[in-house]
Amino acid sequence: MAGIDVHQHLWPEELVDRLRARSTAPYLRGWTVHTDGEPPFLVDPAHHDVGRRRAADSRAGIGTACLSLSSPLGIEGLPRAEADGLLGAWHDGVRGLPGGLAGHHRGWASVPVVDPDLEELSGLLAEGFVGVQLPATTLLTPAAWERAAGVLAVAEAAGKPVFVHPGTVPAAPDPVPGWWAPVVGHVAQLQACWWAWQALRGRELFGSLRLLFAAGAGLAPMQHERHAVRAGRQMTLDRDVFVDSSATGPQALDALVRALGIDVLVLGSDSPYADPLAPAALERSQGEAASRAIRTVNPARLLDGVDRWSRMAGHPTGRTTIHTTNHTTGQGEGRAWRRVG
Amino acid sequence: MAPSRLSEHEETLPAQRAVEIATHAGRVTLENLPGRDLDPDELRDLVATLAADPGSWAHLVGFDDDQRVYASLHRDAHVDVWLLCWTPQNDTGWHDHDTSSGAVAVVAGELVENNLTVATGGVETRVGAGRAFGFGPEHIHRLNGAVRGSVSVHAYSPPLWRMGQYAVSSAGVLRRVSVSYADELRPLD
Repeated sequence: MAGIDVHQHLWPEELVDRLRARSTAPYLRGWTVHTDGEPPFLVDPAHHDVGRRRAADSRAGIGTACLSLSSPLGIEGLPRAEADGLLGAWHDGVRGLPGGLAGHHRGWASVPVVDPDLEELSGLLAEGFVGVQLPATTLLTPAAWERAAGVLAVAEAAGKPVFVHPGTVPAAPDPVPGWWAPVVGHVAQLQACWWAWQALRGRELFGSLRLLFAAGAGLAPMQHERHAVRAGRQMTLDRDVFVDSSATGPQALDALVRALGIDVLVLGSDSPYADPLAPAALERSQGEAASRAIRTVNPARLLDGVDRWSRMAGHPTGRTTIHTTNHTTGQGEGRAWRRVG
Repeated sequence: MAPSRLSEHEETLPAQRAVEIATHAGRVTLENLPGRDLDPDELRDLVATLAADPGSWAHLVGFDDDQRVYASLHRDAHVDVWLLCWTPQNDTGWHDHDTSSGAVAVVAGELVENNLTVATGGVETRVGAGRAFGFGPEHIHRLNGAVRGSVSVHAYSPPLWRMGQYAVSSAGVLRRVSVSYADELRPLD
């Protein structure tokens, strides 16, 4: 079964053209990106070549890749007129990829920070965008989540997930290396968003909303013991709050499984900035069953809310955690545990 | 020298020390968890509580000869709880739970637990409906349903993470393979 990668970046031609036409950040000159906070960086054009990217996915066993706007560019936070043009180019560009919104590449909708048009968002989700992405910089506190309530409600009503993705990182006061923003700034943003959602008790406000945090929510879930000590509150696992695997390796994945269990981990590679977890690498790290859950079963549940395992048990609601397995003996070397003695 | 943890209760097996669900239900509940990892006796009392409350899981019961049926009932930082539905064809294989303690409450039918012994190969213990037992992380076992329609509630603390699966090679050598708990509770279909 082909994997579903819920977090990739690819800039369609429409968006590239719009960015090249600009003279203030964010803009492109050739393939060099200029933003407000981060130093200019050169993009590899091959990273945004649809055919090459699809071929790379194929080699990694990825059958569906969900494209996400690069929120660190800061497009969503621009004045509305500027944001609207760039976001329109993003949505048009994703629509124009081979297969449209139902092709190999699917897409997350994005909305402007200022006064998002909820009707338009509702239309985008109905049209086939997989969910809506919000920059982490707009969800850093409980009150910020509350301010986003309109967008969250539209997603919940549509049965589509909300993707919390790192946003812009302010320029550092002193010189820092190029990796500073993704390793320090983005992680801190995601951690703040995770705890802001918990502090808000967001589940009490949005009973069926599915959330996805990029990059293991900055590994915030590993701070749950500190949270228990400081907040005096134990958390029960929320099976509709997912985290993706982007830019993590075997140790971070292990830690996430320990803190959250396997059911909320999804493959989200952040490609082309990181490599998709090839099936073989993931299986070496987590085993065949966990690999299958992370690559296919869990991402499918994130996107459509349907628990495939429950169907197998004949459960009528499709939203419970039933699963079935096969432990009969004699299935080959790896899984045949015959009786000793 | 301090006695090894392995020496505790070495005269009897955990399943042989099973208690009545009815007398232990209500002592530990999901509402009064201690906010730390639970020991085997506490886990046993927790599964007894849930076993005595079919309203919380009866709608999840289902049986399949080829595939053991699982439902997750609860998970927090310290404990995860599962409902399992068995037929005689369902078999866990030999396994351990790495650092987790565990407990089993049988609410319908009967389970068969096997434990490895070096001298004789194995000891079989049957645990009938209405009984519950707990075990520590040192426990190695294999479970299957004695009769079709067996249902049990299981709890693990800390929540399952890694597990050991055991196999015997063609030369008769026992081997342990470290697997994600997904191989046990979220396996391939």
